[in-house]
Amino acid sequence: MAAINIFHYLPGNSVIHRIDTRIKLVCMIMLSITTSLMGRVWDYLFLTIILLLFFWLSGMPVPRLLKELKYFHLLILMIIGIQAFSLPPAPGAFIPIPGFTLAGLKSGLLLGWRLVVIVIICLLFTGTTQISSLRRAVEWFLHFIPGLPAARIGTMFSLTFVIIPLIFDRAAEISDAQKARCVSGRKNPWQRISFMVFPLLRRTFEQADEMAMAMESRCYSEVYRKTAMKTSGYDWMALGFTALVCGFLFLL
Amino acid sequence: MNILETQNLTHIFPDDTIGIHDINLRFQAGEFTILSGTNGSGKTVLVKHFNGLLTPSGGRVLFEGKPITANLKYTRSSIGLVFQDSNNQIVGQTVAEDVAFGPENLGLSPTEVKRRVQKALTAVDLSHLANQRPYVLSGGQKRKLAIAGVLAMEPKIIIFDEPFTGLDYPGVRQVLQQILELHHNNHTIILITHELEKVLGHAHRIIVMDRGKVVMDGSPGKVIAGIENYGLKKPHGNVETMTWLQ
Ligand SMILES: Nc1ncnc2c1ncn2[C@@H]1O[C@H](COP(=O)(O)OP(=O)(O)O)[C@@H](O)[C@H]1O
Ligand SMILES: [Mg+2]
Repeated sequence: MAAINIFHYLPGNSVIHRIDTRIKLVCMIMLSITTSLMGRVWDYLFLTIILLLFFWLSGMPVPRLLKELKYFHLLILMIIGIQAFSLPPAPGAFIPIPGFTLAGLKSGLLLGWRLVVIVIICLLFTGTTQISSLRRAVEWFLHFIPGLPAARIGTMFSLTFVIIPLIFDRAAEISDAQKARCVSGRKNPWQRISFMVFPLLRRTFEQADEMAMAMESRCYSEVYRKTAMKTSGYDWMALGFTALVCGFLFLL
Repeated sequence: MNILETQNLTHIFPDDTIGIHDINLRFQAGEFTILSGTNGSGKTVLVKHFNGLLTPSGGRVLFEGKPITANLKYTRSSIGLVFQDSNNQIVGQTVAEDVAFGPENLGLSPTEVKRRVQKALTAVDLSHLANQRPYVLSGGQKRKLAIAGVLAMEPKIIIFDEPFTGLDYPGVRQVLQQILELHHNNHTIILITHELEKVLGHAHRIIVMDRGKVVMDGSPGKVIAGIENYGLKKPHGNVETMTWLQ
């Protein structure tokens, strides 16, 4: 089974699941932009509460949220640490640890928080959206741009999600197989990496080739198909609410 | 009329490897055919041509009397191909989504897609896993999912490329049971395998390939005698009743 288990779709029928994927995508982008622009603690607090509310509405289990954040713990700690030591100290201030500043710590904490918020936004989106409808949504947006192979990009986009766990599985398998043959006895790290990377790439390309054929045999074609995607008043309400939240954060 | 026919079908790869050479075969509707031969004898290349996935270097393939290239979409929805490695065939994030892939490609209405997904999943007994992620399934279940994906296209012919590879005993039995059911429901079956002892009793016909050519073609009783000349293991016992199902 896939070693990496993050950002997966959780089947359900919650109010978040039911939002039209195109609108959900726009909401996600709006929220992400807002997150990267806002700077005050109150902004973060407000948005976090709203997002947790969304999360609760989506019916996804909270342990899952904590579990998924686990992957980011180290990264977040690093960000906080680096930031804490990155600001020039105020003249005359008492510094118990060389290079450390309170302002730096504060900015590090905010940056870490920002990352948490972004992860929650992504989780909310990927956890409630089926890949096939994500593909259709991406296709739908792209088909307005003339000359762009919308269907192809949409498919590539969605297949990435399918193929990544497979690549991780395979990497783990190759790595195990090489451990079993005592690859750790080799001194040269580049050699060890190349023993890993080349078989992995070769197998992945072979698989991509076969996968393309299997898709073709199930009548996949790169022609953009107008699929029935209908928005309802409900979807526009969701969009309106998100816009309100973002607007609130910008204006106040 | 023959449902499927090849005329002088030849495939030579760009590096001059001969995939298949001058293949002339005819398949009747409702037949259960085993396609056998050692590794690299050209079985997979041949069936990929049945689906129009490769372009012949020479010759052609006819489906219901017409060249398959005349209407590839019709051909591909009528001739289902279950690939050797199910992982390559699964493109959905959930079981149901994967089965829907083909019908959606056919441009069917959402209700019809849903109906077909349900029907296909029921047929392979995977309905209870509809919302699961494919990568948590067992080998046998994955193979059944791949079969469901093909079934949802409602094909007339179903081709299985080494469907028993990598399966344990219960897995083999599940998949074999499935194939027989499909045959009873009037699907024409072409089954690639060299594990003859598992299925031979169910087949009407066995075709043996060697180095890109058809070297034997006939009823199991007739063909079995000479099979060892082509690197295949001659199974023990009665050819007529040979199966892993009892
Ligand atoms: N993409 C390819 N490029 C070159 N040669 C190939 C390719 N695919 C298959 N072949 C060759 O074609 C021959 C038949 O292969 P295949 O049909 O896969 O055999 P099998 O009977 O085991 O399914 C083999 O010699 C194989 O090496
Ligand atoms: Mg093969």
